[in-house]
Amino acid sequence: MTMPSESHPPVPLPHPDGPLAPYRVLDFSDVKGQLCGRLLAELGADVIKVEPRGGDPTRERGPFYRDQPGREHSLVWWALNAGKRSITLELRLEEGRELARRLAEHADIVIQTFQPGEARALGLDYATLARRNPGIVVVSITNFGLTGPYRAKEATDIVGSAMGGHMMLNGDPERGPVRTTVPQAYTQVNVQACVGALIALYGRWNNGGRGQLVDVSMQEAMANTMDNAQQIWDIRRVNPRGPGIRRNRDGVPGPRYLYEAADGWVACLAYGGLVGPTSEAIVAWLAEHGEAGALTTAAWRDRLRGAQPLTPEEGAYLEERLAAFCRRFPKEWLVAEAQRRGAGWAPVYSPREIVECEQLRAREYWVRVHHEDLGETFVYPGAPFRLSKTPWRQRGRAPRVGEHNHQVYGELLGLDAAALRRLRLRMVI
Amino acid sequence: MPRRRGVKPFAGIRVADFSWVGVGPTVTKYLADHGAEVIRIESATYPEALRRAGPFVDDVPGLDRSGYYANFNSSKLGVSINLRHPKGQELARRLVAHCDVVAESFTPGTMAKFGLDYERLRQVRPDLVMISMPLFGQTGPWAHYQGYGHVLQAAAGFNHLTGWPDGPPIGTGVAYTDFLAPHFAAVALIAALDHRRRTGEGQYIDFSQFEASLHGLWTAILDWTVNGREQIRLGNRDLDAAPHGCYRCKDGRYVVIACETEEHWERFRAALGRPEWCDLERMRRKQSRLQEQKEIDRHIGWWCEQYTAKYVFDLMQRFGVPCGIVKTAEEMFRDPQLRHRRHYWFLEHPVMGRRSYDGPAFRLSLTPGELSKPAPCLGEDNERVFKGLLGLSDAEYEELLVEGVLE
Repeated sequence: MTMPSESHPPVPLPHPDGPLAPYRVLDFSDVKGQLCGRLLAELGADVIKVEPRGGDPTRERGPFYRDQPGREHSLVWWALNAGKRSITLELRLEEGRELARRLAEHADIVIQTFQPGEARALGLDYATLARRNPGIVVVSITNFGLTGPYRAKEATDIVGSAMGGHMMLNGDPERGPVRTTVPQAYTQVNVQACVGALIALYGRWNNGGRGQLVDVSMQEAMANTMDNAQQIWDIRRVNPRGPGIRRNRDGVPGPRYLYEAADGWVACLAYGGLVGPTSEAIVAWLAEHGEAGALTTAAWRDRLRGAQPLTPEEGAYLEERLAAFCRRFPKEWLVAEAQRRGAGWAPVYSPREIVECEQLRAREYWVRVHHEDLGETFVYPGAPFRLSKTPWRQRGRAPRVGEHNHQVYGELLGLDAAALRRLRLRMVI
Repeated sequence: MPRRRGVKPFAGIRVADFSWVGVGPTVTKYLADHGAEVIRIESATYPEALRRAGPFVDDVPGLDRSGYYANFNSSKLGVSINLRHPKGQELARRLVAHCDVVAESFTPGTMAKFGLDYERLRQVRPDLVMISMPLFGQTGPWAHYQGYGHVLQAAAGFNHLTGWPDGPPIGTGVAYTDFLAPHFAAVALIAALDHRRRTGEGQYIDFSQFEASLHGLWTAILDWTVNGREQIRLGNRDLDAAPHGCYRCKDGRYVVIACETEEHWERFRAALGRPEWCDLERMRRKQSRLQEQKEIDRHIGWWCEQYTAKYVFDLMQRFGVPCGIVKTAEEMFRDPQLRHRRHYWFLEHPVMGRRSYDGPAFRLSLTPGELSKPAPCLGEDNERVFKGLLGLSDAEYEELLVEGVLE
């Protein structure tokens, strides 16, 4: 075994069997594009994260390993950049920008989150890069897209969620709209950009190897998470709003879908299956535990089987029965028993419960990632998809700042140690 | 600058789409809107659930009237086969022989029951790429579990992480994983197609909506496995940014304001005209502001009540502060940015009339996505596919109709 050294860093782990193994990606992005790059790395691409000399600003985002801020301690950095190589490069200097353009000659995909107009000012826009490398796919990820009246507007995750129409659908009639605490506008724009990147990459086959610009908007990515709300407005002229613990039906609050169990919460639709094809089985289940109330009567059976909508009083009675029943039992038991009777219940899980979930354990989902610099191994989420011939692979911890400078600049641009030293002294890398 | 358009990326790719509801059809919509010939295989006896879910045009139910279904199925063809009939299964296998991709999202075992599992299908099409996309994957104790995105989001942590810390885990107001998982599935599928294009080798993809969605939890998993800390819903606050919130304005609309960096905070102070509370010692650094969020929210909330949402938005953006208006569905259609970008497509459907469809979140400069037709009516393309593509004679086609194979 060779010892890790400057020219042989221990990560990323090799992944020659990945479906994207022939491709190289240059990642200039912030949090709106780094997950996109990570997914490409886990599919086998050689993804090179380009950081400013002092390290990427993402490294300043908490939470941190053991709450100790530090540029190698950011969990955001770990989560979004595992499996990549890292180089440093000063884009404020023309020499640095020229190095970036030279690297792009060796890349298939460039991911960037520059403000509209900024890429052009840096000479890192699609037109400039494509002149040297016609096959290049440039994925530009911005708040609102590269064009249009809002293109220069500032946004963060919550702004993307609000302006993307998604946030209005979350929340409570009394307390107003609410954002999902883990950033979903950032997540969505990353994963939708990844689809766009691969469509453009695949498009090269039909277009003589030509690449193109992929102009991705965070606002539009969130607009695509509005469920059927746009159709509800288009067809019914109703504006859906956050229904709290209920579910909207045709844009207005319908039955409750969350119930408190003895040890947490469960989620279910159609009054837990009391209405619809599973009705008889669920009523019988409640009856076994003395909680069915009047639901076993012939009149109720007809109502639960029948196609006629329930009155509000009837709905309230079902919710009351269900609430009384659920309160007595633990959620895992409720879900397993409901599923056994054909009703689609699920537990409300916390991160800890997800990590302990029997389904994920049975599928050997979790991967262990070694951080040799900390002398520790941590559990990371596993394969988001299982390809039989060209598997996904987690490729080790995220890189340290500039960990692969020697390797990348040497391999791709033929720069030797002396040349790199001169670049370092001129503060280019 | 008008550019010559290229050949659509998936031109020449044909997809047999057995999937249903949200996740599968969103994946195949990506392919269809970028040039693939996607054939939805449906049934009148077991109709696709979204054909039976509203909103319906004129509030009149009907299998060809649902806006919910339509939105996920632009640019696709539609055929109807009774897959419980042996001849229906045979017909489906013949169709797959002409296809590059099979997509499905049934409960595990269903396709095998129809004789349409990967092992069978690769015999008629050796280089097939097949993706199965149920809630929980093909194996494990939950493989057979029922459900939709509304409840899967609960298991995947999004309820625990959406709502107020002193209230119930309300989750998002949408079937959230239906709008998260498909992008991962599309990534896997296109990567597999690329591999096939290079090597000629097909493969099978076991996709679990649950497992993919966990990659949308950002640092919540690592914060537990590394630090032993359980993240929880924080209302509109943020673990790492302050100010960070949603505020009601004079006109009843809501705005959001977020300062992720010190630079944002400086701009925010300037936008407000540097009021006294912003200059307090404990407001100087983010780490201490994170302890003062209650007071910060009180000040901003009071300030926002004096102005309209539009005024707050314009002012904050003029100073470079991340700020947005919480938009309703109606406002989304009027949004000047989305109109400029032509995000929504309006397509004329034979039963539903001119209706809106979501377009992709990206513009490709050479091969832009195109929603080439509205969603198919049930069985709309039976003749085209079975006679045209499979070459059934009129007599064979009629026989299948009479026997209830095409339904």
